[in-house]
Amino acid sequence: MPSLVGVFDTPGPVAAAAKRLKGRGFQDLEIYAPAAFPELDDVILEKPSGVRVWTLVGGLLGVVTGYSMAIWMSLDWPIVVGGKPFASIPPYTIIGFELTILFGGIATLLGLLVVGGLPYGQFGVTDKAYDKRFSAEEFGLVVECRDRDVPEVDALLRAHEAKEVNLVEA
Amino acid sequence: MTPPPAMSVAETMRHTPEPPDSQINTDLLGVMYHRPSMGYLLLLGLAVLSVTAAGGTWVYQVYLGLGIGGYTHPIFWGAYIITFVFWVGIAHAGTLISAILYLFRAKWRNAINRGAEAMTVFAVLTAAQFLGIHVGRMWKSYFILPYPNQRGLWVNFKSPLEWDTFAISTYATISIVFFFIGLIPDLAIARDRNRGWRKLVYTALALGWQGTSRQWKSHSRAVLHLSGLATPLVLSVHSVVSWDFAMSIVPGWHATIFAPYFVAGAIFSGFSMVLTFFIPLRRIYGLEAYITDYHFDNIARFILLTGWIVTYGYLSEYFIAWYSAVEPEQTSFWLRAFGPYWISTWVMLFCNCIAPQIFWFKWARTTPWILFSIATLVNIGMWFERYVIIITGLSREYEPAVWGVYTPTWAELSIFAGSFGFFSMLFLLFIKIFPVIAITEIKELAIHDKAHGGAH
Repeated sequence: MPSLVGVFDTPGPVAAAAKRLKGRGFQDLEIYAPAAFPELDDVILEKPSGVRVWTLVGGLLGVVTGYSMAIWMSLDWPIVVGGKPFASIPPYTIIGFELTILFGGIATLLGLLVVGGLPYGQFGVTDKAYDKRFSAEEFGLVVECRDRDVPEVDALLRAHEAKEVNLVEA
Repeated sequence: MTPPPAMSVAETMRHTPEPPDSQINTDLLGVMYHRPSMGYLLLLGLAVLSVTAAGGTWVYQVYLGLGIGGYTHPIFWGAYIITFVFWVGIAHAGTLISAILYLFRAKWRNAINRGAEAMTVFAVLTAAQFLGIHVGRMWKSYFILPYPNQRGLWVNFKSPLEWDTFAISTYATISIVFFFIGLIPDLAIARDRNRGWRKLVYTALALGWQGTSRQWKSHSRAVLHLSGLATPLVLSVHSVVSWDFAMSIVPGWHATIFAPYFVAGAIFSGFSMVLTFFIPLRRIYGLEAYITDYHFDNIARFILLTGWIVTYGYLSEYFIAWYSAVEPEQTSFWLRAFGPYWISTWVMLFCNCIAPQIFWFKWARTTPWILFSIATLVNIGMWFERYVIIITGLSREYEPAVWGVYTPTWAELSIFAGSFGFFSMLFLLFIKIFPVIAITEIKELAIHDKAHGGAH
């Protein structure tokens, strides 16, 4: 199926056009943006990003690891000081805290890779619809559609301030 | 005069002119493509030279032992620990800018966050080496890690030095992760605009980034979460470093104010180091359109604020020493100001408390040479602050019979100079390999302005 790529200067019209297209039943959409814009965040993927789960699980794993490692190791090799307990919670809070951050941070990186689908594609090959203008300051809205829908999509993109619309063969 | 050879027409027609790239890309990638000037090469050469000299000194120290330093009873924490604390402190500004100011949505951070983050990574790497250099037998440094061994020994988790190990290694890891995640979209920009081996490198590092909605969505989330994690982390790291001292019973060290006072000092010195590097950088690469006086003004305000917190820390230390009526504590503080190390104390007070007061005036906050001078003074002052705390503290403990005087030797000074060389070397290489300003974040602002009629 062919794809149409609308090229835009600002994110607002991209979001508006994408929503209209979705409303008309075009589900196969993609946006290329030169920077992060909150207005584009939920246009294609409506659900909240799954990265949050990764961070949470990583952090929880970290805090459990931190405390249990310090406690278990203190019990395994006790340092006898007066009548004091071998494992003492207040100083181990620091270990628990640091590992929360460490595991949480690494899990966030992994989450970015898994949820964001990185590394993406084949090495050195970009999508056909991708253009280096989209890593300059322009936006691309890619719509996959049947041949007979091309005029409709083209008109819709142009109606939303697309400054040009290109056809990319799949 | 002879006319130029008749190549020009045919030669120019061979290339189809590419559509012009965005101005932001051209300007910011330009720093990387700029042919290294003589000044750049000279600085880089100097940095490499001092690293080499320090490396040589270190090898000599490994051969001969820590005795080539100025250690003398009772002072066995010297210039290496001072320099370690100094560089860990420098690191803090980068995380503050990239994480805390991100959470506060302070848009002015966009121009400086990449460079400051890079400084964080390099400063932590510099600092981490000093732990190994300080322990002397560097090849046994791994003893501090909890690893299974046939002796059945585990580390002592109640020791502040163990906390420090966890804090510094977490900080180094998270800073690198944060730095890398921020770089990915910019690496894609560089990938799209390079050829040959450079393109290969950027292609590998950019991980196939194309700025799709799925990529940006998870990227924004990841940055937000890492900011949330890095914010308490940055506050904890220098607190933990301060507890290396505060958990002991050395007069002048065991104060509860140490954690906040060290954190403020870290941010104070970190922002000064940011100025020290960004003022020449802006000048040399003509980045005035991106790093404006407004940014410097804000940094100077931070220096003024944190300078006052540090000053408050000094005053409260003296007050508590007097108020406690503990004689060793009082003696220790009296000798800080009027004992054998009086010079370092007064240098510290002048550089950290008095000099930054000029930042009350707007003209001072926007005049580069004044900013640069004050930043340099603060850097000096903050090194001396750690000198005062560590050396005067240890040299005048409870028993006058065991008082001593420590002076750093050439070996320690050489390795100290090498740390500046190492840091500068990494920074100089960095500006030629990676975009020194976060390009996508600048675009975010620029496109936002464009969409709203440039009304800002």
